[in-house]
Amino acid sequence: MSLKSRSGPLSYIGIFVLLSIYFLPSGAQGSDVGNCLLCHKYPGLSRVDENAEMRLLYVNEEIFNKSVHAKVKCEGCHTDITKIPHEPVKPVNCLAVCHIIEPAEEQKFSHKSVEKFLADSVHGTKDQNGIEKPFPEDMPTCKDCHDNPMFRPLAFVKKVRPGVAEDALGRCRVCHKKEEFIYRFYNHITTRLHKSRSPLNIAESCGRCHDDPELVKRHNLSTMAGGSYGQTFHGKAANLLDESVPDCLDCHVPKGQSVHQMHGNDDLRATTHPENRGQICGSTDCHPGASPQFANYQVHPEFNKEQEPVTYWFTTFFIVLTGGTLLPLMGILFLDLLRRLFPNASFKRRN
Amino acid sequence: MKKYPLIINKDGKKHFYRLSLDLRIQHIILAVTVIVLVLTGMPLKFSDTTWAPYLYAIFGGSDMAPVIHRISGVFMGSMFIYHVISIVSQIITKKILPLKKEGKMTVGEVTRVLLRLPMIPNLKDGKDIIGLLKYLLYFTNVRPEGDEFTWKEKFDYWAPFWGMFIIGFSGIVLWNKVIATQILPGEILNLCLIAHSDEALLAALFLFIWHWYNVHFSTSVFPMGTVFLTGYLSEELMVEEHYYYYVKVMTKEGLEDEIKPPHGGGHNPTTCGEPKIVPPDNPSDTATESPNNTTQQGGISL
Repeated sequence: MSLKSRSGPLSYIGIFVLLSIYFLPSGAQGSDVGNCLLCHKYPGLSRVDENAEMRLLYVNEEIFNKSVHAKVKCEGCHTDITKIPHEPVKPVNCLAVCHIIEPAEEQKFSHKSVEKFLADSVHGTKDQNGIEKPFPEDMPTCKDCHDNPMFRPLAFVKKVRPGVAEDALGRCRVCHKKEEFIYRFYNHITTRLHKSRSPLNIAESCGRCHDDPELVKRHNLSTMAGGSYGQTFHGKAANLLDESVPDCLDCHVPKGQSVHQMHGNDDLRATTHPENRGQICGSTDCHPGASPQFANYQVHPEFNKEQEPVTYWFTTFFIVLTGGTLLPLMGILFLDLLRRLFPNASFKRRN
Repeated sequence: MKKYPLIINKDGKKHFYRLSLDLRIQHIILAVTVIVLVLTGMPLKFSDTTWAPYLYAIFGGSDMAPVIHRISGVFMGSMFIYHVISIVSQIITKKILPLKKEGKMTVGEVTRVLLRLPMIPNLKDGKDIIGLLKYLLYFTNVRPEGDEFTWKEKFDYWAPFWGMFIIGFSGIVLWNKVIATQILPGEILNLCLIAHSDEALLAALFLFIWHWYNVHFSTSVFPMGTVFLTGYLSEELMVEEHYYYYVKVMTKEGLEDEIKPPHGGGHNPTTCGEPKIVPPDNPSDTATESPNNTTQQGGISL
């Protein structure tokens, strides 16, 4: 009796706990083993740092769990945190060896291999001879271009569309029993099969530096790249959220290589080097059959008399034509309205 | 070809022949294609604005809108070619061949005939512009007495004519850029893009502000001019805009007695004296007196 009286409430609590665990959001089963969200789940969590800038410290668990880094423990990136509550943290080093196991080699994962590609690229701080470039502090580091992107899964069923294909997941479930793994693996693979960012997002990302007048001037660049890209059909379609148009990376990254392996126009390895430029546009996916002179199309046109006189004067002609046509006509139209509104007004004094 | 009476009477009011059915159909094709081309093209020109993606999405976004744009362009281009062939053939048959028959086929004579075609700008247009400015600035109360086609109509004709040529050529190059750059340098695509989009903006502003104001929104015709549908212009508007031609037509039709005074009350050129006060239309009189058997051949009168 007494046993029964004790086990009754316990069994209810046990069922409640089990149900709670079952219905917990997926993130709760994720990587927050350090219980960091105990504090960081509160939307108002913030502080003013040493530079008098407001730092938002809130982590939206739901969004974070849909990001590509959801499986990485907080301490995997924030390696200097060893206790809670913690001191102000150092900036994350993206090249650190993190606490996730890379499945192919079963080693701890790291982005460190990117370092040598980036160092050898146009964005490296040293040139090919190992001499430091002017203003090396302007060169981008990981977080200047990358944030923590969300998965953008694709469904390949009868046609390709954004999202998860339940049909495909059904095939996964035959062998893989862990639902969370199936979803994450599917998301990882299909996100990687296309771009994790839209062309507009890429152009805006590059434009953060390449549209900065000071940086452009300091590095003697010939164009405000993001802005001039926006003047082309590609850029305009990107503005209208078309994902099929080429963005910066499609032309500037050599086929089969990483975005970290871009080179300057004067580097023979660069796709945009005058000797290679002709092959960019004529690729199978873009304009098959295009002649090399097709690529002489100015992808980064500048309205500049010295730099591009033909384009400058051609554009000026149309500006003058438009103004010269419309302004006099608008003047007549305005006078016509006045004449109709005040038909009896006159400059002649009546006696 | 269908014959059109120069003056018809409807509900006791005179209406004057302006446009043949052929030209009205051409105009409607032009109007519809221009509107569709502007709606599918401008979101691309102003792609960085907030409204552009929504307008583009209405036409099917970047999958469908370019297709609609090109189909409209083909219709407009075909109409333009048809129009040019039609006009040139009419000029040859009605103006050049008669000269040949008369044995006057000289360069000077042909030039003189061509310059006298009604849609060709002439000295009177210059005088009419000055006259209109005087009227609009209250220096006179009399509007210029316009001929069959006023300078505004000639402007409305030749501006889209030039525009269609520029926009059409650049559009074809941009559409067939891979083929075009087999011959032309790649930079031509930049120039075509500038010409296509800037000229289109000029055309759109010109048509939707200037042309629409003159033919629809002006207080004389508001809310809508109907000549593009019926082919006939009311007597009031003929008097206001085409008085010189109005008097010619009325005289030709033997209706001198019914000629109304010019807009604003000026001198009647037929009487060369005091302004003639014409009583209000009497529907029964005008209906019986109007010689409806007088006709004009369809198409732009040459």
